[in-house]
Amino acid sequence: MLTTLVRPTSGAARVNGFDVVKQEKDVRLSIGVALQETGIDKVLTGRELLVLQGRLFKMSNEEAQRRADELLEVVSLTDAADRRSGTYSGGMRRRLDLALTLVHRPTVLFLDEPTTGLDPASRIEIWNEVRRLNEEFGTTIFLTTLYLEEADELADRIAIINHGKIVSEGTAEELKQLVGGETISMDFATESEATLAATRFHTSSNGTHVSFELRDMTLTEIVRSLDEQGLQPERLTVKQPSLDDVFLKVTGESYEGGEIRVD
Amino acid sequence: MWTETWLFTKRSLLTTIRNPFSFIPNLIISVFFLLVYTSGLSSVASLPQFEGSDYLNFILPVSIVSGAVGGAGGTGQALVRDIESGYFARLLLTPATRTAIVLGPMIAGMLQLLVQTLLIFVFAFLLGLTIPVGAAGFFFTVLLAIGFGLGFAGYSVGVALKTRNAQAAQAGTLLFFPLIFLSTTFVPKELIEAEWLKVAATFNPTTYIFEGMRAVLTQPEIDWGALSAGLAVAGTMSVLMIVFAATNARGA
Repeated sequence: MLTTLVRPTSGAARVNGFDVVKQEKDVRLSIGVALQETGIDKVLTGRELLVLQGRLFKMSNEEAQRRADELLEVVSLTDAADRRSGTYSGGMRRRLDLALTLVHRPTVLFLDEPTTGLDPASRIEIWNEVRRLNEEFGTTIFLTTLYLEEADELADRIAIINHGKIVSEGTAEELKQLVGGETISMDFATESEATLAATRFHTSSNGTHVSFELRDMTLTEIVRSLDEQGLQPERLTVKQPSLDDVFLKVTGESYEGGEIRVD
Repeated sequence: MWTETWLFTKRSLLTTIRNPFSFIPNLIISVFFLLVYTSGLSSVASLPQFEGSDYLNFILPVSIVSGAVGGAGGTGQALVRDIESGYFARLLLTPATRTAIVLGPMIAGMLQLLVQTLLIFVFAFLLGLTIPVGAAGFFFTVLLAIGFGLGFAGYSVGVALKTRNAQAAQAGTLLFFPLIFLSTTFVPKELIEAEWLKVAATFNPTTYIFEGMRAVLTQPEIDWGALSAGLAVAGTMSVLMIVFAATNARGA
């Protein structure tokens, strides 16, 4: 709806200050959209697609050519530029799709599950590209994803949508606060040591294992206090709650229809 | 809008040229029709209703029109391919007007038909075609063919947009094939025996295209009445179908 592909049945929305119904064209000129499915004509070459895209966004032929060269460089497709896009691999096609989205230097970018179906190397490449766009060009990026790790990695602000409604919104840190802070867990050589440590931190032990929420203590304080007691854990780890935990909590632990939106 | 339309036309032409199998079979079938009908049925031309004209001149429009139907159907299918590859959605997200997005492929389809019609003519000349009225006969036949083709391309694009399904788009064009035969396809109207077929032929727009072409191909003098009727039908069809396609594009 925000991309003007679907018209709202009621209500109004503005993108970049333009009304999505009354100023469709202005909206389209200022946004870039990469849909979940790449939108590429397999018969045309990467360069041809980029030039046509530029021309459709009112560039002159020379301008469009120049911009195509530039973007081919950015997404490392210069070598494949004059091959038909049908011969590209999944990752290359995704990069070309992203380049097509960027031709007219949009100030708001919509990315719908940009890394679905990509191998880890291509995924990291796309992530780096997205981060660069945001940091170097100040592009606002509106990204939807099912991978919470991706949201955590890229997003400044995250909204979790369940059954079509935003159920939670905030920074990754804020969201994680919802399920509690960091937890520390330690393992001792003997049960008695574990009991001793547990009493020290007002918690209980489980065999040789002790774990509790960090709250306002720092790691240094904990280590120092263990030292004072002459306790030496064999293993000590601090675990950040993941967005997966947040998601399960705010969606009421139902797996159906959950979607994460990030911007 | 015109720059956009031209860009889309160019792109469609490029796609067509790189997919030779999208037009070669169609061309072969048209030429095949011409060859088979001429060899098999040419003796009917000795009937008085043919007024001494050659059967090749009489059957040439059938070859051209059936070629146009097949070729124009390809336009709709190309559009369905774009919808399926997601490229159509990308085009909808550009500031280009919806009309330009569908008009481009239609014009490309029309140009493809122009080339195809010219090639059929070349083949017909090789078979010994002579046009009694000369170059005007050639010119008006081509004009009727591309007018009909543009209308038909619009129809197939409209169906493609409405159904978003390659099979439906193809079925939509196949529906038109009976129209070709429910007409004065093989013999003049006076020779059609079945009353219902005569009626069908009267209401069939294809009949007027055939008659228009025959008005300039088979007679010693151009029959201006039949020609203008044919041109009017081709023109009206084109306009109606462009509107049909553009309306469906706007809803897309």
